[in-house]
Amino acid sequence: MNALTARSRSPRADAASGSLRLDAVGAAAAFALFAVLANLVEEFTAFEWTLWATQAILALSLTLVWGQGGIFSLGQAAIYGVGGYTYGFWAINLADNTGETLTAVVAAAAAGTVVAALLGYFMFYGNVTDVYVAIITLATSLVLFAFVNSTSGTAYRIGDAPFGGYNGMTRIPRLTVRLPGAESHELTRTQFFLACIAAALVIAVIIRVIARRPFGRISVALQHNELRTELLGYDVRRHKLLLFTIGGAIAGFAGALFAAWGRFISPPVFSLAPAALVVIWVLVGGRTSVAGAFVGVLVVKGFSSWFGGASGDNEPIVLGLLLIVIVLALPGGIVPSLQRARSWLPSRRRTASESTSSPDELRHIGAAATLHDDDDQPERRIAVQGVTKRFGGLAAVDDVTMAFQPLGVSCLIGPNGAGKSTLLALLSGQLRTTAGSVTLDDHDLTKWHPYRRARSGVGIKLQVASIYKSLTAHENLWLACYAKSHNVESAQVRSSELLDWLGLSDDAERPAGTLSHGQQQWLEIGMVVGGNPRVVLLDEPTAGMTRDETERTAALVTELGKRASVIVVEHDMEFVRRLDVPISVLHMGSLFAQGTFEELSNDERIIDIYLGGRHADAASE
Amino acid sequence: MSANPSVTGRRARRHIYRLAVAVAALALTAAACTSSDDADGPAAETAGAADAGTSDTAAETTETTTVDTSDDDEETAAPVDTEPIRVGSLLDETGPLNIYGTPMADATRLAIAAINAEGGVLGRQLELVALDSKSDQAEYIAGADQLVAEDLAVVHAGITSASREAIRPIFDEAELLYFYNVLYEGGVCDRNTFVTGVVPTQQMQVLIPWAIENLGPRLYVLAADYNYGQISADWVQEYAAAHGGEVVGEDFFPLDVAEFGTTVSEVQDASPDAVVSLLVGGAHMSFYSQYAAAGVNADIPIVSTTFGLGSEQVALDAASAEGIIVAYPYFEELDTAANAEFVAAWHSEFGSDYPYITDLAAYVWEGWHLWADAVNAAGTLDRDAVIAQLESGVSFDGPKGTVTLDGGSHHLIQPVSLARANTSNGFDVFETFENIPPTFEQDVCDLIASPDTNEQFTP
Amino acid sequence: MSADRLFNLGFDLATTISILALVSIGLAITFGMRGIINLAHGEFIMLGAFATLTGVRQGLNIWLAMALSAAIVGVFGIVVERLLIRWLYARLVDTMLATWGLSLVMVQVVENVYGSVTEGIAVPVGDFSVGAYSMSSYNLVLMASAVGGVVVTYVVMRRTRYGLHARASVQSPTMAESLGVNTSRINMWTFGFGAALAGAAGALLAPLVGVIPTMGQTFVARSFMTVIVGGPAFVAGPVSASGLLGFVENVSTNQFTPVIGQAMLLIAAIVILRFMPQGLTGRRSLR
Repeated sequence: MNALTARSRSPRADAASGSLRLDAVGAAAAFALFAVLANLVEEFTAFEWTLWATQAILALSLTLVWGQGGIFSLGQAAIYGVGGYTYGFWAINLADNTGETLTAVVAAAAAGTVVAALLGYFMFYGNVTDVYVAIITLATSLVLFAFVNSTSGTAYRIGDAPFGGYNGMTRIPRLTVRLPGAESHELTRTQFFLACIAAALVIAVIIRVIARRPFGRISVALQHNELRTELLGYDVRRHKLLLFTIGGAIAGFAGALFAAWGRFISPPVFSLAPAALVVIWVLVGGRTSVAGAFVGVLVVKGFSSWFGGASGDNEPIVLGLLLIVIVLALPGGIVPSLQRARSWLPSRRRTASESTSSPDELRHIGAAATLHDDDDQPERRIAVQGVTKRFGGLAAVDDVTMAFQPLGVSCLIGPNGAGKSTLLALLSGQLRTTAGSVTLDDHDLTKWHPYRRARSGVGIKLQVASIYKSLTAHENLWLACYAKSHNVESAQVRSSELLDWLGLSDDAERPAGTLSHGQQQWLEIGMVVGGNPRVVLLDEPTAGMTRDETERTAALVTELGKRASVIVVEHDMEFVRRLDVPISVLHMGSLFAQGTFEELSNDERIIDIYLGGRHADAASE
Repeated sequence: MSANPSVTGRRARRHIYRLAVAVAALALTAAACTSSDDADGPAAETAGAADAGTSDTAAETTETTTVDTSDDDEETAAPVDTEPIRVGSLLDETGPLNIYGTPMADATRLAIAAINAEGGVLGRQLELVALDSKSDQAEYIAGADQLVAEDLAVVHAGITSASREAIRPIFDEAELLYFYNVLYEGGVCDRNTFVTGVVPTQQMQVLIPWAIENLGPRLYVLAADYNYGQISADWVQEYAAAHGGEVVGEDFFPLDVAEFGTTVSEVQDASPDAVVSLLVGGAHMSFYSQYAAAGVNADIPIVSTTFGLGSEQVALDAASAEGIIVAYPYFEELDTAANAEFVAAWHSEFGSDYPYITDLAAYVWEGWHLWADAVNAAGTLDRDAVIAQLESGVSFDGPKGTVTLDGGSHHLIQPVSLARANTSNGFDVFETFENIPPTFEQDVCDLIASPDTNEQFTP
Repeated sequence: MSADRLFNLGFDLATTISILALVSIGLAITFGMRGIINLAHGEFIMLGAFATLTGVRQGLNIWLAMALSAAIVGVFGIVVERLLIRWLYARLVDTMLATWGLSLVMVQVVENVYGSVTEGIAVPVGDFSVGAYSMSSYNLVLMASAVGGVVVTYVVMRRTRYGLHARASVQSPTMAESLGVNTSRINMWTFGFGAALAGAAGALLAPLVGVIPTMGQTFVARSFMTVIVGGPAFVAGPVSASGLLGFVENVSTNQFTPVIGQAMLLIAAIVILRFMPQGLTGRRSLR
């Protein structure tokens, strides 16, 4: 098992490397260092470092949300602001009664959680992605900015705490604790500094733990290929919502510490500059790295501090040039760049050894067993009834009704634009029908999202291989197997089996994007198989393959057909003939004919629309 | 006195702690068991702290660095020595707010140099610790904290009201005397805080009656949507009602609005006799251009208590600025001997091409001189004695004339002048009103009678 | 409502939309064509304004100064592209970081050269009246320029060889490359073109706004909002988005307050992106 565990790691995923024990030791050492430093430097210096610590926590929230999950949020600073205000309201109103403000910190984290959850639900369940997420989160911040700015009147208050408008909320209580049966104790500045550092380190360790757990691996997968992740059966929208919500809790928590630090919070925290600054910290430090959040804050803040006196008014120039230099010279940020430099040699050696391995053969050892590791699912019959898909005025699929056999291979052929891929996409759920329904046995899948269909046993291999190019082959397969089993160990075992089955064992640790074209196609088929599907949709599995590879693929498809319903869209007529299975012909979005290869190749009409030219081509290859 | 006042960084304490081997557990115990007071008691203070320079908030501007060998507590030690008196300043010298901060920082240096040239305070020179808050709220808090640790006699700090409200509690807690030298929305009532800036009631009681009498009773208010604008707009209502006028329209604008087409139309729709502008900041400057471009400024004049604060009269073309009536205590153009002297000193220090000496610069100048005079009169740096002296109603004859500290409210009774923006990026002063009191602050705030009051009153 | 008020309302609306279109079309080109998020876009506008200011102060005719400013910022854009942007294609966030750095440098350099306040220029044309309302004739210039900017962009992209190559390299860079299109050169011109449009916007706005080094910040957020809401189509996108957002802001400012107007613009942007995740002109993804 150890070997497998080692194998599943990838050199590039810094956040996912190491172990909890190592992290804990590192964090404890860092804490000890700061504890010593805090007693060496002047108090006001430690006080300023406290600010940096709260900002590092804020940066960590973005490391989690963006670095791991690829959610480009410009809203972290705003959630931080919400946390700060919440702490203020809570502490001002209740600290006198309760004698502590820890509950206010909890309330702030809860407020951050709620805001992030609402915003996340709004965005992710509307399929908002990429830069559009950035704009929505930014616009939300600016709305908050406009709102809080207008609250200077005495009417705007919660209990004893006025909003204060642009001037902000002041005289917020410091962090105060009260142990049961003891006097309440307001933390000294040194203690507060150490508390913030401890919190930052604990959160950093938690993020690293999350990164190593399946949740984190799925986050990374999602970031690299959202479509494939959904098609494997992961509910990407829910996953992103969860991730964003956790990030919101962290940002809200950081905001509480900030408010307790400055005893003050004001609306500019909702403006563009802090929103962008968080991104800059994380980018400078390296967004894939937890340490990067700390380094980013330290470098940007420290840099402006050190150079502030020397350069005076020119500090923005120096900082601006620093950013430009980092982008050009250290893409990915400081920490990942340093790590790359360190791991350069070993990774080269590995590449060298890899070039000797060849994708020789598909091993059929235990193939049947590999295909299905359990038999708890019955065979499934997928069918469409009168499905239509229109793009604008064009009907790509027009009133097609057909049922596929629960076992065995069938082929869909037809000229370009006949609607084959569209039909597969309707089956997998990537596209939603304009009319008609898709059923799996008695279930109506028509309104199901792709991940639900995948979980019910519908797997698809897309026309252009959709794999995680920067993850290793093994990781690709692990993700597919885990989607089905939700068990780390069995996913390890099964993905190793699949590697063997696909003949990719020697290339298991290579980034999948560096595999040969054919290997990538097989890898994707392997990923489909890893999901233990009852219905396998293959869109041009042999595109770009050599004749040799095509033949192996045909054997593979036949193999698959023994255990599942396999639907193949293919242009390569040689391949179709070799499969020797029932064929359906699509033409202009409609089901045109069905039959065996022999029957259809004698059908004049089909030769007319399609087969003749193609067949001749294929035969003459 | 040299051109540069004796400005130093914080004292350079560079001791090397011999703590090469520090066990984490020890440090933890120390942190958990010792309060900061214990850790940084006098002993720790004289021993100094390891300071590699990295901890310096860089905000600090260090023109000359002298090593201060004395770590005595100034407040308790008898002032027989000739060591400089350390005083602090915290202003936005960089970043977007430096359009206000730069003249204030310049005025600070000029004032300290002038006080030192006249023999200093209590026979000792002043040594300035000047930090830059970089237009960043958090830097204000960190900077204020650092100033508290610097062992200073007084701090003059803050530009925006938000910055003042952020740092005022810090100085209160540290019992470090605090001066706020900026025009603001008024109402601060705090025994430790003195304000030299003008407040809305002072400007309004001059400007609004003048506008109603000379332009007409119907006023339209355009205000920045934040504390200053909202509070000032209330005062316009009040003074208009008191003088037989009325406010026929009122609009508030977020600070980043730069497009005023709709507003120009709405003003025309209401056809008031005058527009009262309480607009603030770079984006809002656009209003004056767009108002003039539509040709409305010829028909409906603008009066303002904010125009010129950000050097609007310089940044706008003459056609857009001309004719706008403002009310401030100080103008560079004030035609008095004292002002001529002040302007000459300013230009000889900072060059004759200095864009414009703002009224903020005058508040800073007065703030430092009032404090210096009060300390000299009290004969001690003791905070309570100095406060008592200031509350006794000290006066100072500055470039704008005589200003008198109102002991109860800690605000200034000062002259307010009306001026009209001219075509050469300046103002023509046409009427000066002496001894305008901060009426609202006097009403709500009497720190002599109730010294424990500490809040910001709003109308 | 009287006819003159109605005209006045329409005039204001057209002005708002024109300004929004002017400040965003340059960004739309660089974002739509090359996927570059240029956070220094506001500073390009600022540079255009300062160039015009300088030109007028040197005694140039104001219209000539404006045209020159657009050209100068265009050349500056080309220099920036060659030195910086060209290393960063397909690295969306890196371009954000680098252009943010660039914007910091630009603001400070301009401030060092011109000081934090500098004298503005006058609106070069007068005003006119319709009924009881007096309006700026210059706003007509803005409207004409916005329409002109859109038409020029459309013509350049649709009717010139450069436009053909540019569109080809957006759709399939490798294919375009293999057909002999120098995509690197095309990228350079595209960025320069976008910069020139930003410079032109700054030049045109110079008489209407306070020309200060930090003025770019006023425009960058809303031009972003407009471009992203517009979606990838580089002409139809900003035009439709500035029309829609300008309408929402103008009407709600008119009916309620400027604060609500601004909030409504932001909320409209949020809602549009929620229900049209690729913007107004984007294709609906997945489903």
